[in-house]
Amino acid sequence: MTAPTARRPAVRRPPRRRGVRSTAAGALWFFGPLAALVAAWAVAVSASGAPLRVFPQVTDVLAALGELWTSGDLWRHLGASLRRTGIGMALALVTALPFGIALGASRVLSAFFLPLLRFSVALAGIAWIPIATLWFGYGDRAVIFIVWNAMFFALTYNAMLGVRQIPTELLRAARSLGTGRLRMFWEILLPGALPSIVTGLRVGLGYGWRGLVAAEIIASNAGLGYALFQAQKYFQTDVIIASMMIIGVLWLLMDRLLLAPLERRTVERWGMTGAQGT
Amino acid sequence: MTALKIDRLNKVYTDTYSGEEVTAIADVSFTVREGEFVSVLGPSGCGKTTVLNIVAGFVRQSGGTVVVDGRPVDGPGPDRGVVFQSHALFPWKTVLGNVVFGLRMRGVPRAERNATAEEFLKLVGLDGFAHRYPHELSGGMQQRLGVARVLANEPAVMLMDEPFASIDAQTRRKLQEDLTGIFESRRPTVFFVTHDVDEAVFLSDRIVVLSRRPSRVREIVDVTLPRPRRWQETAELPEFRRIANQVNDLLAGDENEAADGGARAGDAGGEPGAA
Repeated sequence: MTAPTARRPAVRRPPRRRGVRSTAAGALWFFGPLAALVAAWAVAVSASGAPLRVFPQVTDVLAALGELWTSGDLWRHLGASLRRTGIGMALALVTALPFGIALGASRVLSAFFLPLLRFSVALAGIAWIPIATLWFGYGDRAVIFIVWNAMFFALTYNAMLGVRQIPTELLRAARSLGTGRLRMFWEILLPGALPSIVTGLRVGLGYGWRGLVAAEIIASNAGLGYALFQAQKYFQTDVIIASMMIIGVLWLLMDRLLLAPLERRTVERWGMTGAQGT
Repeated sequence: MTALKIDRLNKVYTDTYSGEEVTAIADVSFTVREGEFVSVLGPSGCGKTTVLNIVAGFVRQSGGTVVVDGRPVDGPGPDRGVVFQSHALFPWKTVLGNVVFGLRMRGVPRAERNATAEEFLKLVGLDGFAHRYPHELSGGMQQRLGVARVLANEPAVMLMDEPFASIDAQTRRKLQEDLTGIFESRRPTVFFVTHDVDEAVFLSDRIVVLSRRPSRVREIVDVTLPRPRRWQETAELPEFRRIANQVNDLLAGDENEAADGGARAGDAGGEPGAA
């Protein structure tokens, strides 16, 4: 047999140069639109002559941000919110993935649970806050429950879809290579469903993040949602806007620093992006 | 020694659309000896892929028996490795990860399976590509990886379901020569499904020609061409053309008969389980 020629030989591009360039360009595309928004806001406030108590100027909000930073409140709220999100997400992953994959693998299970799942998706997250506070009281556990709940259904549903999208021949190949039913989970179903699971994680984390803010407004005494709510009580519009910005920027960072690298290292590395319409 | 024995195989299924009972396989019997290369050839939609799927254990027969290495087939198993038309490589595993997959599933220790993998990657000309991912390989390389993945697992019989059908003509010839080379050096037992007459003649020791659906064995043709075989020399042999013509006549005769009377059975729908 002669030496085969790869169709695409230069698979691994020089990592460093590409990294630097794409980071710079990425940062520009990331912050550019935000900067434009801030500029428009600054112009609008000064041109309209609206009362600063109602529409704070950019500088006021920056000052509020600075104060949150130096007083340590920022870190306290940020820490509480991120910790709850992390725990809620971890719980959602370990519960939703096995469940969703089992649903994808079994027609009987999915026939039974699918109507319940569709019903629950509509209610997931915020609608559960009142009952969560009755069950868990006001505090961490209620908020974590909401984050878990908001993520669980999206993750379950997408894990199920992901398993169903695995080509039959991959499952057959695995079985005719001697894969037992239990090992199918780790070896085939989980990685095979990953493109869809990443989509579920992105959607679910979005629901979870919104659920977190809402739950913290009602059921907590720390966290970004709570900070928002406190500022409203004292008519601190600058702090409200500052907190909203933190919430939004954090979401963008989570997407950039958590989900995008996960996608790059798995689904994209394996060339599975084109195969699935996610 | 008989590696694979198919006896009075019969498959009836219910068409999900019309609700009619359709006989895909009427009565198919033949055997494959150990170290023999047998092709199953037939008109498209004749149920040859269904025969393979039953042997692989993916589909259950309605009647008859399939015995591999003395054991009746009951579900898929590592004694019957399958090379698919779509390659069916695991995209999340490297080339090496794909080749050692079966060995890992069977609990072979790491050092041993890596040595085996190295041997088989070399056999199919993929040494040096161990840490690539399947999507980084060309179609021909992917299919050679599919062959290595099955052979490394040392099955009693390697089942190949039109493995080169989706590959461009030039590469296909090269792959057929590669496969013949591998077969001649290691003598695995191969059960090969194709609709390409020249391919079947070039590769096989015997060709099982199936009729149109509902399929029966029309004839089993011995291919007595000398080995080693290379396209350039083998295709020149008068014997090659004689056998190819004989097989073509068998297929054409079947077409004529179908046109005369049995056309109904062949028009009932698509071949179940075919790609």
